[in-house]
Amino acid sequence: MSDLLPFIVVGLATGAVYGLAGVGLVLTYRTSGVFNFSHGAIASAGAYLFYELHNKHGVPWPLAVFVGVFLLGPAMGVVLELIGRRLSGTTAALRVVATVGLLLIVLGVATIIYGPATITLPQFLPTKTFKVTGVNVGYDQVILVAVGIAVSIGLTVILRKTRLGMAMRGVVDDPALLELTGLNATGVRRSAWIIGSMVASASGILLAPVLGLDPLLLTLLVVQAFGAAAVGRFRNVGLTFVGGLGVGIAAAVSQRYATDFPSLLGFPPSVPFFVLFAILLAAKKGSLFEVGEVRRQDRGHLTPLPTAWRRVALLAAAGAVALIPFVVGAKLQVWISGAAYVVIFLSLGLLVKTAGQVSLCHAAFVAVGASTFSHLRVGAHLPWPVALLGAALVTVPVGAIVAIPAIRLSGVYLALATFGFGILLERMVYRTFLMYGSEGNLLAPRPGGVSDKVYFFVAVGVAVLAALLTRKIQRGRLGRLLEAVADSPKALTSLGASVTTALVLVFCASAFLAGVAGGLLASGAGTAGSSGLGAFQSLLWLTVIAMAGTRVLSSSVIAAVLLAVLPIYLPASLTDWQPVFFGGAALATALFAGRIDWTGWLRNEVEARADRTRRSPTLARRGDLGWTGSMSRRRTPTVGAPAATSLVEVAP
Amino acid sequence: MSPVDNGLVVDGLEVRFGGLVAVNGLSLEAPIGRITGLIGPNGAGKSTSFDACFGFTRPSAGRVSFAGVDLTHAPVTSRAHLGIGRTFQRIELFDNLSVHHNVALGLEAKLAGRSPLTQLWARRSERIAVEEVTREMMDLCHLTDLADTRAGSLSTGQRRLVELARALAGGHQLLLLDEPASGLDAHESRAFGQLLRRVVETRGTGILVVEHDMSLVSTICDYVYVLDYGRLIYQGTPAEVLASETVRIAYLGTEPIPEEV
Repeated sequence: MSDLLPFIVVGLATGAVYGLAGVGLVLTYRTSGVFNFSHGAIASAGAYLFYELHNKHGVPWPLAVFVGVFLLGPAMGVVLELIGRRLSGTTAALRVVATVGLLLIVLGVATIIYGPATITLPQFLPTKTFKVTGVNVGYDQVILVAVGIAVSIGLTVILRKTRLGMAMRGVVDDPALLELTGLNATGVRRSAWIIGSMVASASGILLAPVLGLDPLLLTLLVVQAFGAAAVGRFRNVGLTFVGGLGVGIAAAVSQRYATDFPSLLGFPPSVPFFVLFAILLAAKKGSLFEVGEVRRQDRGHLTPLPTAWRRVALLAAAGAVALIPFVVGAKLQVWISGAAYVVIFLSLGLLVKTAGQVSLCHAAFVAVGASTFSHLRVGAHLPWPVALLGAALVTVPVGAIVAIPAIRLSGVYLALATFGFGILLERMVYRTFLMYGSEGNLLAPRPGGVSDKVYFFVAVGVAVLAALLTRKIQRGRLGRLLEAVADSPKALTSLGASVTTALVLVFCASAFLAGVAGGLLASGAGTAGSSGLGAFQSLLWLTVIAMAGTRVLSSSVIAAVLLAVLPIYLPASLTDWQPVFFGGAALATALFAGRIDWTGWLRNEVEARADRTRRSPTLARRGDLGWTGSMSRRRTPTVGAPAATSLVEVAP
Repeated sequence: MSPVDNGLVVDGLEVRFGGLVAVNGLSLEAPIGRITGLIGPNGAGKSTSFDACFGFTRPSAGRVSFAGVDLTHAPVTSRAHLGIGRTFQRIELFDNLSVHHNVALGLEAKLAGRSPLTQLWARRSERIAVEEVTREMMDLCHLTDLADTRAGSLSTGQRRLVELARALAGGHQLLLLDEPASGLDAHESRAFGQLLRRVVETRGTGILVVEHDMSLVSTICDYVYVLDYGRLIYQGTPAEVLASETVRIAYLGTEPIPEEV
């Protein structure tokens, strides 16, 4: 026991900071209803500003802390309030997309300025130690715990006893009602966001010397706050802080045992996600803090293009794709992975767009598919198509596991559970013999060792089959049930269909496609590696698919081109900006949801031209309304009237 | 009263929320081919008993059965398969789907059921049946002109009709309607009542309707149960209920709750 005490002390100190971060998260979530995935990114921003001021420019640390907490914090709080206000009428999935987008922006900018490597920061707090029952305790550790306790108690008192706290608790349920009592709902929310951001910034600054400054690490590690917040059921500030302490201690103590058992090395950093995942799975329905459900928005139903037009477009597209291998030269490899990415986005789109579910662990699905493919192809010497199918089938049960939280949870909690699951898989399973092994790389040979050109057509062929399968699901009975689930699960059960079955099926179908994509991607590159298939990619993919339009098939192709193909044609200096760009676009999509649908706009534009050439009496071109008009003003039924009758009317 | 073996029988139903007894020993019968009303002032426990009958709320005591089958602890989806359909007080439509799709789901969802196989594959004969029933029900509820309209864009009156058509498409023997007249004006409410009567007379369906609006209940129901503070305080024909002193007091609230049923 006594040899554990030092670990407990370390755990208490880091745990206090996790708890602090969790407290800020809970506060903003409770008042705005927007679960801030970028909470960790705010902490990072605070930490980087501190580093810039204190370590690079020699500003004394108290002043640097003051600037980070009391100037940057409120500034970000004001911005977040503006974003949160915009998001209040959108679906849970879009809220997740928006804050994940924000996270990517901060992360991307930090990487561009400071580089991806970890910067070690000397502890700025006094590091002298004193002994308690034979254990060295640092003054810095005492300060961390003291700050954590003070902030948690302070916030609890504010929430319970003051008028502002009362208003904060009420504002999320009915802002209009709150305003009737003479309080300003926006002001109340803004103060909550400001306090939350200040706390987040403080936790980042306090954590930076302990963990080092690394954009991804800090952003994801402050996500440990998720685990702490889960202990507080996303509502109780005090319990959240206690949860943070618990998470910190559990991680530190398991570190002690992990040194003895190398296979457990991935465990300590995963503790918060175990906690998060376990609580989300075990929580009684309704015991977690719930925000009023917002229904999915009108997706804008466009009249289909005339059949002849569609055929011409399809033929042209097929022709263009057939030409690719002969035009792009050495860049064909990128186009091959593009085909695999189409399948990835089909898989994700099926979940997000058809069924209204959120998945933040899709990269893990793909990784399972890729590694299984390699095992089957190399280890079991199976022929290529059989190995591909096998990889897909092995991924299906993994999808079924993720369906379990989807049945019990919705919206943001589902997103959190899938995120936690993805990270667990990444930390605990990727490096075991089940997936990539300790080497992290596996061979994944192509069928008969074919050339890039031939393999490109194989990959496109598989992608087309995947698209047909997706379309079949969408248009079939399951597709209709899923649309119904997205609108009203309650009504669907009352009609006799099991929502559980439908959700398990769609997660399995999505995992199947992701498995196919994994195999396709791996054998395109010749090797299956875990790099590029981590939690960060899952976040990135969700934002890309969200900004790529509302229709599953077209948005999959657009997303794949944007993510996988386009970067090679842009100057290398822009590559770093990719996450920033996608994050910004996803944020914009979420903020202007229902008002911007640029694929819809494009299509209206084409149709309007088609109508004009046919001289039908279209009163106004939809294109005239620009980006913002395409969703809100849909086509009237008369626009689709046959051209022949219109000609009769128009002719003198 | 003799027990009906072809309808819904509720026996000694009790629902508790913590210490609060929302429904206390409710017994009623809703036979096929008739319209039974369950009325009471706001907060009397009508919707709670309704949800308990349908499986959305767990009763703490009592028994619910339909056509002789015990349903008390059966899952919600099993109701539809046994022949009970329902509507909701707060209308639950699939807002992003067209009226046609909404109504079609009434039967489609029942056919899809709980098995993965039936959810994935629809047989040809089933597709034809769904299409036929959908047309018929939209026709019956005067929705044919709205078939391609998005359900979310309709008025409350039209939405009530879509919900009814959807429940009817399931081909159920008994429909539970939760405050179908709320949000409707007097004219719409009257028309809705006439439609319900027509459904019962032409199709032999049974209906259990929960309402707090006496006018609809008194014109369409064959038999009425009156609930107050979770207890059954009166039952009889609409005329008897309207004449009853007990019911009048419960609604006007001039005296404390009567102890006797």
